[in-house]
Amino acid sequence: MPELGRAALVVCFGLALYAVGAGFWGAHTRRRRLALSAQNALVAAFLSAAVAAGVLLVALITSDFSFTYVSAFTSRELPLTYKITALWGGQEGSLLLWLLVLTGYGAAAVLLDRKAGRELIAWVVPVLGVVAAFFSMLVVFVASPFATHAAPADGLGLNTSLQSPYMQAHPPLLYLGYVGLTVPFAFAMGALLSGRTDERWIVATRRWTLAAWMFLGIGQLLGAKWAYEEVGWGGYYAWDPVENAALMPWLAATAFLHSVMVQEKKGMLKVWNMLLVILAFSLSLFGTFLTRSGVLSSIHSFTEGSIGPWFLGFICFVVAGSLALLFRRLPLLRSKTKLESLVSREATFLYNNLLLVALCLTILWGVTFPILSEAVRGESVTVGRPYYDFFLRSFGLPLLLLMGIGPLVAWRRASLRSLGRTFLWPFAFGLVAGGGLVAAGAGSSLPGLIAYTFAAFVTATIVLEFARGTAARRALAGEPVPRAFASLVARNRRRYGGYVVHAAIVLLAIGVAGSSAYDTSHTARLAKGQSLKVRDYTLVYRDLRRTRAQNAVETRATIDVYRGGDRIAVMHPGKNNYPVEQQISNEVAIRSDWLTGEDLFLITEQVNPNGTIDFKAIINPLVNLIWLAGVVFLLGSVVTLWPDAREERRLAVRYGRLAPET
Amino acid sequence: MLTTAALVLGGLLAVAAVWFVARPFLRSPASEEPLVEPGRAERERLALEEERDRALAALKELEFDHRTGKVSDDDYRSLVGELRRAAADALRALDRGRGQIDVRSREG
Amino acid sequence: MLAVFLLYSSIAGGGTPSLRPSSLAGHTGKVSLTGYVLKPVTGDAHGAGLHFRLRDVKGTATVPVVYTGSVPDLFRPGRDIVVEGRFQNGVFVAVPGTMVTKCPSKYTPKKT
Repeated sequence: MPELGRAALVVCFGLALYAVGAGFWGAHTRRRRLALSAQNALVAAFLSAAVAAGVLLVALITSDFSFTYVSAFTSRELPLTYKITALWGGQEGSLLLWLLVLTGYGAAAVLLDRKAGRELIAWVVPVLGVVAAFFSMLVVFVASPFATHAAPADGLGLNTSLQSPYMQAHPPLLYLGYVGLTVPFAFAMGALLSGRTDERWIVATRRWTLAAWMFLGIGQLLGAKWAYEEVGWGGYYAWDPVENAALMPWLAATAFLHSVMVQEKKGMLKVWNMLLVILAFSLSLFGTFLTRSGVLSSIHSFTEGSIGPWFLGFICFVVAGSLALLFRRLPLLRSKTKLESLVSREATFLYNNLLLVALCLTILWGVTFPILSEAVRGESVTVGRPYYDFFLRSFGLPLLLLMGIGPLVAWRRASLRSLGRTFLWPFAFGLVAGGGLVAAGAGSSLPGLIAYTFAAFVTATIVLEFARGTAARRALAGEPVPRAFASLVARNRRRYGGYVVHAAIVLLAIGVAGSSAYDTSHTARLAKGQSLKVRDYTLVYRDLRRTRAQNAVETRATIDVYRGGDRIAVMHPGKNNYPVEQQISNEVAIRSDWLTGEDLFLITEQVNPNGTIDFKAIINPLVNLIWLAGVVFLLGSVVTLWPDAREERRLAVRYGRLAPET
Repeated sequence: MLTTAALVLGGLLAVAAVWFVARPFLRSPASEEPLVEPGRAERERLALEEERDRALAALKELEFDHRTGKVSDDDYRSLVGELRRAAADALRALDRGRGQIDVRSREG
Repeated sequence: MLAVFLLYSSIAGGGTPSLRPSSLAGHTGKVSLTGYVLKPVTGDAHGAGLHFRLRDVKGTATVPVVYTGSVPDLFRPGRDIVVEGRFQNGVFVAVPGTMVTKCPSKYTPKKT
């Protein structure tokens, strides 16, 4: 069976190469059949990749240890669901998953996006082919999932920290995001290559970009939740380079989603948008390169491994090639419109973009500086949390504020007087909220206070937008409030879906501010019967128990939690010992208070031989708003993505598929 | 045994791939029309249409913003005139452009 | 303009030097030490301090370390760790709670 997998991958590679060659030639000489043939090759590449993935999946499920990959990442007593998701638990399998998603997106994009026009698609196909060729080359020649060896009796098992539902869902969602950014990139390059730099490429890719961005965001939140619950140090984001690897393309994509609106409405920022989409795609490649190549542990392990140099080379090729192409086609991208006023919605979008890109680049610098420093000076440095926190505050807080200002400013230019009137209520609300917060003790952290106040301001603007819109709709159509609201959103899906997403970001900001600026932690060594007090909770250590589970020995302490004299919970923090994998994992206990959104987080740091336990108790205020934000984010994105029949028609007429209605 | 089956399946896959790729050539050779490359006139028309759509959308958005109170009466008055003029210009340019295309196609 | 600001602030505010046991000599400020944990490991991280020796990941130089605070799950002799602290009187005194282990798989490293 591994031969079938290998054959499928070789076929996939061949098809990708064909798509590149035939695609470029067909588009260049305008041979329709050749271009169509290249398009078919891309679809067939997806099917081959699917066959290969199927072979690996079957091998995993049947525990065929003759596959090196299966024996490296599964074992006989591993639960079935983890055997399946071990498909992306290791280097080779995750590359195969990347290839599958890539060819899947590619096939879907060229088949479904007929409004983009045959001429554009003819050039998009070879670009997608180039990326597909690279990844299929990797799985065929460099990191094959189908390597075989003499089958051992049992496999090595999956890393215990990956044995969690979050870690099962996290990679595929993240890949749907990362890889999804290839589509707008390919369309952008297609637009440049074909010379059709009209809005067509943006309109065609808008949904793909939004979907990829949505998946990337959700994937990151799942990763954060995993870190919070499974790694269990009390936090959810450590500014680790592999975390930043996903954040950077997401920030670039966020900037892109905003600036394309300016291009659509004003015809401005065409070159900037091209640069952004190249940046987003390059960062997604760079992100996966960072995570895989070992370059982060040391520069030496990078050059010893095989995959790193290939990725680096490809990234350089992509960046150089796309920039060169952009430079050549620069004359086609001139726009006639100029920025009229620094106080206009275009201007706020520009500030938003500048801040997002600045944050993205500072993170990039923080990630690459240690690597560069080691390469150049031989001595490495560690860039820690203070660096990232500083820039997150410097750029993030103004961004938060802009989220409230932007929607309220008119296009082209807004007079200060009208601004004053529109902002009066939200500004007043923000002031009152700020005052209240100081009174409630939030002044202990200035950035936290600012974040909360800005969040209040933005919330007021969003509520106002919905209220005013619904009122206007009622005045126009005489509908009752709920129907007016529904039809308002239905007619302006992008705008109001966007507002919902903004609301999600506000929730995220409040949750992050609360749990990072206002958290408390206490540690104590307790014997049975002793207690630890943290804020208004009293924790009493009652008992310690050891039980045997399927592949682990579980040690759990029983803690009674009291607040105000009442016992409100019993918690069981502890540790798991996995004999096969020879690992110990911390199993934290979390109690979420649904009213206040805060978490009581208990860690058993150390079980001592004399029966005492070192406990750490952390209070994270408002942290659950972060997860709630994820749900709202998903909702808002879906609303924004929802197809609008009338707009589709209008675009179809414009691009000549339908006859214009006179 | 398993290996032969795998190789046979792999071979079938390769054949299927080649067939799939060659399909456009196996169909009617008459469909060998070149990919339409938009001429300058066509490109200009598209640009004008985008211009028109943009102007009309901006007008619509201004109305909406005014109704929801985001744009004051004064600002509305000063902006709506410009936008209406821009929309009218775009529509006129488009009609002129269309006329030119019709003339060209009639002349053959 | 932005670029200059970024570069300045990153160099000025940013990194703590990242060293190996063999390169510790002469550094007196706060540094980040990377090394391979050697047996034996004695003491109590939540008490008087956890004592162990760190060796160069690819080398032979070793240094004694004393550490207090949270110990990551993956910590044990034979693992690579990173810890921040100061080199004082021949002993590396760690800043509490700053130990990080390097994950054996290529995915997310474990952290305290």
